[in-house]
Parts: sequence; C-alpha cells; structure tokens
Amino acid sequence: MLEAFLFSTISMATPILLAALGELIVERSGVLNIGIEGAMLCGAFFALAAAYFGHSLLLGLLCGIAAGVAINALLAAMVVNLAVNQVVAGTALDILALGVSGVFYRRFFGVTGRAFTITPMPRIALGPLARLPIVGPALFDRDALVYLAFGLVPVVAWLVSRTRLGLRLRAVGERPEAADALGVNVFAWRWTALIVSGVLTGLAGAYLTLAYADTFIEGISAGRGFVALAVVILGRWNAWGLLAASILFGAAMALQFGLQALGTALPYQLFLALPYALTVMVLAGVGGHARPPSALGEPYSRA
Amino acid sequence: MSAAGATRRRASLAIVAALLKPIAALAAAFALVAIILLGLGASPILVLAALVEGAFGNWLACTETIVKATPLVFTGLAIAVAFEGALWNIGAEGQLIMGALVAGAIGPMLGGWAHPIAVTAILAGGFAGGAMWGALAGWLKSARNVNEVISTLMLNFVAQQILSWAVHGPLIEPARAYPKSAPIAAAAELQLYFPPSRLNLGMALAAVLAVASFALLYRTTIGLQLRALGRNPRASRFFGLRIGWLTVGAMALSGGLAGLGGGVQVAAITHRLYESLSPGWGFEAIAVALLARLNPLGVVPCAILFGALDNGSQAMQRAAGVSPVLVQVIQALVILILLAFDAGLFAARRRESGAASTLAGAGFEEARDA
Amino acid sequence: MLRARAISKRFGAIRALEAVDFEAAPGEIHALLGENGAGKTTLMRILAGGLRPDAGAVTLDAVALRPGSPQAALRASVAAVHQSPMLFERLTWEENLALGGGTRTATAAHERAARLGFELPAPRTLVEDCALAERVRLELMLALSFEPRVLILDEPTGVLAPSEVTAFLALLRALRGQDRIVILVTHKLAEALAVADRVTVLRRGRLMASVAASQTSEAELARLMIGELPPAAAAPSSAPAAGGPPLELVDLTLDDRGRRILDRVALAVAPGEVVGIAGVEGNGQAELVEILAGAHKFTSGQVRAAGLAVIPQDRDLDGLVLTLAVWENLMLSRPLMKRFSRAGWLRRTAAIRFAGELIERFSIRAPDAHLPAGALSGGNRQRLAVARALADAPRAIVAHNPCRGLDLAATAEVCRLLAGFAAGGGAVLLISSDLDELLALSTRMYVMSAGRLRALGASEREPARLGVLMAGKWT
Repeated sequence: MLEAFLFSTISMATPILLAALGELIVERSGVLNIGIEGAMLCGAFFALAAAYFGHSLLLGLLCGIAAGVAINALLAAMVVNLAVNQVVAGTALDILALGVSGVFYRRFFGVTGRAFTITPMPRIALGPLARLPIVGPALFDRDALVYLAFGLVPVVAWLVSRTRLGLRLRAVGERPEAADALGVNVFAWRWTALIVSGVLTGLAGAYLTLAYADTFIEGISAGRGFVALAVVILGRWNAWGLLAASILFGAAMALQFGLQALGTALPYQLFLALPYALTVMVLAGVGGHARPPSALGEPYSRA
Repeated sequence: MSAAGATRRRASLAIVAALLKPIAALAAAFALVAIILLGLGASPILVLAALVEGAFGNWLACTETIVKATPLVFTGLAIAVAFEGALWNIGAEGQLIMGALVAGAIGPMLGGWAHPIAVTAILAGGFAGGAMWGALAGWLKSARNVNEVISTLMLNFVAQQILSWAVHGPLIEPARAYPKSAPIAAAAELQLYFPPSRLNLGMALAAVLAVASFALLYRTTIGLQLRALGRNPRASRFFGLRIGWLTVGAMALSGGLAGLGGGVQVAAITHRLYESLSPGWGFEAIAVALLARLNPLGVVPCAILFGALDNGSQAMQRAAGVSPVLVQVIQALVILILLAFDAGLFAARRRESGAASTLAGAGFEEARDA
Repeated sequence: MLRARAISKRFGAIRALEAVDFEAAPGEIHALLGENGAGKTTLMRILAGGLRPDAGAVTLDAVALRPGSPQAALRASVAAVHQSPMLFERLTWEENLALGGGTRTATAAHERAARLGFELPAPRTLVEDCALAERVRLELMLALSFEPRVLILDEPTGVLAPSEVTAFLALLRALRGQDRIVILVTHKLAEALAVADRVTVLRRGRLMASVAASQTSEAELARLMIGELPPAAAAPSSAPAAGGPPLELVDLTLDDRGRRILDRVALAVAPGEVVGIAGVEGNGQAELVEILAGAHKFTSGQVRAAGLAVIPQDRDLDGLVLTLAVWENLMLSRPLMKRFSRAGWLRRTAAIRFAGELIERFSIRAPDAHLPAGALSGGNRQRLAVARALADAPRAIVAHNPCRGLDLAATAEVCRLLAGFAAGGGAVLLISSDLDELLALSTRMYVMSAGRLRALGASEREPARLGVLMAGKWT
C-alpha cells in the first residue's frame, strides 16, 4: 500500500517537476509565465492526438513539445517584444489553450468523448534497482519521462548556478539594463528561456496523456501548471528546492487515492483541494522571506 | 473655437478613439477565428450566421442572451474594480462559487420570510460569500506578502472542491439521490418574466451596480485613492494612503461582486446548487473587462456581447458542428489583441507604477529603490 | 580622440543638454565638471552609449559610435563606471566580475586586483552586502576588464573615505597611460584639479568652458559652475509663533539593516525661515523626506509637525500620478481631499473649479484641469506639485530638490513661490544638492553628510568651503 502511494506520488510529481524546471529557467530570466497551464494543456492534447493518429508515441512526444513551444513563443512575442502585462497575457493563453484544445478535441472525437486511448508509454526497469522492496517499482520501474524529469534536476541546478550560461541568464533576471550594458542580449535570453520551458512544459503535458491517463479529457491539466508556479516559489528558485516541493505536492495529490483505499470518513474533496490550499498556506508562511529574481515580472524595453 | 467648444470636441474625439480599439480588436479576433475555422474545414460565414441567429434570432434567444450575460456583468465589474487598483484578481471564478454556495446554503431556510426580504437576504449572502473569499486573498497580499495572482488561482480550485463537498455532503438534497442541494425557498427566488423566457431582475441589478461601480471609482475619494494606488504605488506612499486597507477592501468588493453574480444565478436560474456551476465566467470576465477598458459602464455592453457569443455557440454547434468552446478562443484572442494594441498604453502605466504590477515589487518585498 | 559634436538631449520639456561639444585626447584625464542637474551624467550616458541623443554625434578616432547601444560602445572599447554602481546586487562579486572581459576566473580577478592595489571582498559575498566603496572598485575592475580605450567614471569618489580618495586619484593617474582616455565626471573641484589634464565645465545643460587644468583655478571653476552668488535671503520678519515651531526634528535616527542612515538629526524651522540642507545625494536626504511625508518609519527620535506639506524630489515617480487628471492629482493631497469631498463623495465641480483657480494662480500652463498630468511639461508638473503643497495653506513645507531638471524660468518661479510662502509666515525646509537654489533661498543652512547634520556658519557660505563640508570633511 505504501508502494502504491509512492508510485502515485512520483506519477503526480513528474509533470509538476518538469513544468516547474521550465518555469524556473523562465523566471530566472525575469519573466513570470502564468500561461504555463495553457502550455501544459496543449502539450497534453496534441501529444495524444499525434500519438493516436500517427500510431507513434515518439510523434506524440514531438507534437507535445511543439505545442508547448508554440504557446510559449506566443507569450514571448507578447511579453518580451511588446513588453505587455505578463499576468494578463499569460491568463489569455490559458483561456486560449482551453479553447483550442476543446475545439480540436471535439472536432476530432465528437462530444460523446468516444475515448481515444492509446497504449501508454512503456516502463523501463532500471535493473536490480527495480527489484528493491517498496521503492523499487515506484522509483526505478517507470517510463522515460519520469527518469528525464528527475534526471534533469541536477543538470538544471548545475547549469543555472555553476555555468557561465546560467550566470548570464540570472543576470538578465536580476537587472536587465545592466545585463544589456554588458553585452548580454536580454531579449534573446528571455526568448530562449521561454522556448526551453516550452519544451519541458510540453513534455509535462505529454506525460499526462501518454503515460499517466492514456487518454485526454478536457482540462486534464487541472491546475498543475499553476501548482508548478507555486513550486518554483516554494523551492526558492533553486532546482533542488523544486524537487522537494514537487514531491511534496505529488504526495498531497496522491493522498486522495491512498485515503480512498483506507476508506476514511474524510471527504475526498479535501484531498483534491489539499495541494492548492497547501500552496497558499506555505506561501503565507514563506512570503516575507521569498527572494525572487529582482526583475521578475517587470517588462523590459530598451531606453 | 471657444475653450468650451474645444473641450467638447476633444471629448467626442476621445470617445471615438476609445471605441476604436475595442472594435478593431473584435474585428481582428473574428478574422483570426475565421482562419482557424477554415483550417478545421468549417465555414466562417455559416458559423457567424449561426452565432447571430442563436443569439438574437428570436425573442427567446434575445432574452437568453441577456440571461447568459448577467453573470458576466457581475464578474466583469469585479475584474474592472480590482484591475483598477492593479490587483490582478484571477479568482473571480472561485469568488462567484463561494457566493453561490452561501446563497444556496441559506436559500432553503428563507421560507417563512416575505419575498423582498428573502431575496435581499439570499443576494446579500451571495455578496458576503464572494467578499469573504476575495478579502482572504487581499489580506494574504497585504499582511503576508502573498502574490494575489497565485493565491486567487489556488483559491479557485479550493472553492470548487468546497462546493463539490457541499453538494455531496452537508447540503445534499433530502432525497440524497443526486449531488445537488435542496431547492431554495420559493420566497427567495427571483421571479422570471415572460415565460418561457428566463428574464429576471438580475440584469437590472447588474446594471445598477455598474453605475454604482462607476460612481465609486470616479466620484468618490476611495475610488480615486484606489486608482492612484493602481497606477503609482510609490507615490501613494507619499500621499498617506492606507494601502493595506485599500487592498483588502478592493479585493473584498471585487469578490463580493463576483459572489453576487453567483447568488443571482442561484436565486434566478438554478434555484439550487450543483457540482458544476460556472462555465468559466470568472475568466471570461477578464476579456469582458479589458474590452470595456476597465470602465464599469462599458462592462454592460461588453458582457452582452460575450453573452451573445455564449448563447449563440450552442446553435453554432448544431449548425456548423463546431464546439462551443470556440468562444473561449475568441475571448483569448480579444485579450491578446487588446494587449498588443495597448503595448504603448500599458507601457506607460507600467513605467508609472514602477514595480507594483509585478511579483518583485508588490508581492514579495518592498519596491526596491529605483 | 573622442569627439562629441553638438549634443542635445531633452527629457520631455527638460533640456538636459544643449548643443554641447566635448573633446578628449588619448593619454589625458579629462574632468567633466558641473553642479547636480548640469547635464554631466546625461552626457556621460550618451558617451557610453546608454542613451540616444536627440541631436549630435559621438566619434572615436573619427569612427562614429552607434548611438543608444551599450553593446556598440563596448565593442568600440568605451566602458563606464556609474554613479550608482551598475552591478548585480544579488549575485556574488565573483559572478559579477565573471561577466566581464578579463576577470572571468577568480585567479584573474585577484591578479588584476593586486595590480590595481585593491583589496577584494571575502569570497562569495553578495554585492548587496559589500560596502559602497567596494562596489565602486568592483565596477572599476569590471570596466577595466574590457581593456577600454575610453574609461568614463561618474562621481567615483563620492562614497570613498577621504583617506581612500588620494589612493584612488593616484590610480586614475596610473590608468591614464597607454593611449587611454579617462573621463572623470564630478562636481568636486579640488579633486578634478588635482588629477585632470583638461577640465570641461557644464552648467544647466550648456558648455561653459573647456580649459587646461594648469591654466585655471578653483575659484574660477567655481564661478563657471555656479555663476555669481545670489545675495543671501533676508532674515525672517515675524517672531516665532506661539505653540512651538511649525516643524521640529528631535534626535531623529534611522537604522536599516545594520546601517545608520540618519544620525540624531535635530533642527527646528521657525515661521518665515527657509532652512536649507545642502549635501550630496545619498547621505540620508531621501529617507528624511520620506519620514516627513509619513511614508517611512524611523528608529528613534521625534518629528513634530502640524500642517506639513511635502514636495518629493521625483515628481513623476513619487509626486504625481501621470495618468490621472490634473484636478485628480490635486485631490490626492489629504487636506484638499477632505476639503472637496463630503462623506467620501467627491465634490467634483467644486474641485475642478478650484483646480482652475490654482492653474491661474500658479501660472501652470495646462489648457484645462481634465488633462492627464503626464501631458504637462516638466516645469508645469513641478508647478502643479508646488501648487498642491501650498494650496491648503500649510504651516510648513518640505521641498526636496524642487528645481531639479527645470529651466531657468521655471526655477526662478519655484524659488519665488517658496520665498513668498516663507515671507507670508510659513516655514520651509529646503533639502537640495543644488547650491544655487540653496544659497538663493536659505536664511539658515546645514550640511548633511552620512546622515548627520552640521550647521553652517555665516562665513562658510561660499563654494569651496561648502564643497569641503559636503564631502564630509568636518574637522
């Protein structure tokens, strides 16, 4: 039973972690991407559609990536080039994603929701590790995206904190005009961050449909993108912190299944609401001490 | 030209200029949607015709358009008021739900009351529920530095779950057959006029509130303070404005307006609570408010426009086989196009308000010295 | 040879620079002198590529520099050290230097520092935890790491202790070699003469003179920078009113994050007095004004004021809401808001009419009171801010750099208004870094340095002495 809980925790944590890693990079460059939810949703839908019609999981993954990148590119054009209000633009993209995925979904599959399921992504057992008691199947017998998500954590951590690349990214997010003065192209870096994040968020969405649910329902992302935003804050804009926060939320989300099995008298809605309420409570506690990149959310134009 | 004449001319030019952007944005949005439709193999003409027919084709359609527009006026006003104070309230959805919840909870208990009092009570409950939910986010921001974008987003989901729990649990109808609440007392129902139309006083109330909101924002000291805060929080410190109170108060009012929309829905249309309440009115309201340029008086016609789209979308599905959620695409495009048009205007507003509209400035720490 | 020809720059209606020519030759240290608001920083930013001039061009060795592009300037080997160090505060100093040219590794950084005679901060210290003097040195290292042909320094000694200044100036002399052009932007006469080969003086956006340092003197430069000294203002005509002075500060202290920003500031302003506080920006003036406006808490001491109106220094950021109408901006002042509202309802017509009267009375060039404040020129916005402060007959006014960025006519106007207010029995506290307006208006003066106040003796009201005191040398 603990095994099942761990398994679910990792399942829930993976898409959040992927999206959060992407958002970390974006926020380090100074952009606040509220549209992350929309990118995830589009990634989820188009990944499934491509996998279903193209009979290829790989095609599905690629299309999921493309969808995430497309949404983020649209945001980039708005907030980097046009320097518009990032919150409103992001929200518009969330609505757009709901609309586009809904329209295309019903066009392809009709309102009856004739289930278009696919065979899910195969699991890859990591040798003897997969046979460990309790943690084995949960951690080491998963699909490729899970390994990717967790494997990226040290990579992102190293890239952002210890390389020159990461330094320039952080400079852009701290003080764009100083970065510009030193020859670091603020626009280029923010675009790059958004594209990279689009890849990761698209993959997060693809995970939802290709590995987790094996099908698509409207609004399947269910706010996970927003949870990723909170995870970035909770993780203090640090990849390892993100990992911890993602697992925390994954566990909170997994609780709903665990407790249903336990048959407690607590209503299941409590557990569905838990991650979101938890976010708010932790932010209220942490709020005064959070130190985001100094220029986060401020549109930047050259004088 | 006399000074007064010049002022009048300038004023009318200003009105024309003000209307130009929203109309152009709508036209551009429709054009883009037409392209999408062509890509899907549907005919834009057919779709547009179906939309218009569905929204205004006959008397019943027209009344239904008004009915569908009513919640949008309430939530649109909620957004307009909050955004004027640079409070990015993305939680109108949750505030509407909480308002409906309170209304649906006290509704069944109002049986013995006189009709006007019962209606006032149920609507007041709606306002209170939403106001509490909005004030919560406002307090979190002013006292605990929690960015309101994230808190209101999260509270949306929490509200949804509270509603779900309520209709499955404590508020479930006596028969316990279906997850819905007991019906509200007949005394608390908003009367429907000209059956089978569902026309009710909700829209009238909404219109009155639009005028009241306009008066609040532009004719009172509090409204002036809120608008100053939204445009230049740095200077607001120098004016001795009580920023904490303004924040909580504005969020409470915003939430209350949205909650009232939920209350009206329960009192007039649904008469009870179901698990699914809003098809996204809280988000659609953003498009409504932006199209209305955050002017409460403009929210009414813009809400009717989007209500027409919502109403006509069912017919659009039947006639052209296109999903009704297409209207969400239109909503999103309108917002994006307006943002793009405003790229100059919003830039001025943003430069003016410094870091206020951002996480760093307003959510997490004091504005850094420029 | 760095040449700037006919450079002009306006910010709105503020003429920051007017047809200024500037020339600097390789191997020389060129001092760019002028009071605050003379246009030195604007010119420097244009030379460094951070700002685009409205007219004129900059060439280096007869090759035009692309205006408004810091990258182009860097590529052309022009590097700058800014008045407020342009570093990344939340990154470590090593990371800041790593973004430079030749200081990418720690060893390279230490090597360079040794060559310059600098001591580097403790490893992995965030720039925001470094002292200002250290930040200046870090930015200098960063600039030098690009091996620039032109090195521009904006008020670098402002935050250095007197003992460090000599060493810094010696360093500048050493940097001058190898065909390099060093431009020192400053308002400190003595330092400029000590180290520069040529001196250019700007005053109110215009070029006053460009001479060899050996052929001029402090007195002459002061005269060029400041002009003729206006006669001191007359002493107050009325006796102090009963009930204590309208504005009194008693041992006002402000500590923030371990730094003492205001140190037992004490003064009293009597009716009819204009008390001036002179000082270089950044010595606690801004915080003092914020405290008086009620926008900032203080650690200890007392502020005794009744009927106080504050005119903050940055009218666009702190004083006005540019997208609100003129009359609405007027209503933002608490006494006016109270006067023109009833139970929260704005008495709109009365307010607009009053705005019209104020526009007349203060000669604000605004066609009508409905225009957004941002549509007014800089001078008129300041008139608006002053009008708002004076409108409800306060007992005392605090004005912070009220004439900054204004042309001569507007400056005279604002000075006249403040003097008139004092003559009518009001009390004025004038905090400014502009000696012109201070000397013209003040009946009594103080100098502020590092959060401390020092009264100015009657004999000390002359530029050279003031310069010394403002630099913090109070012995």
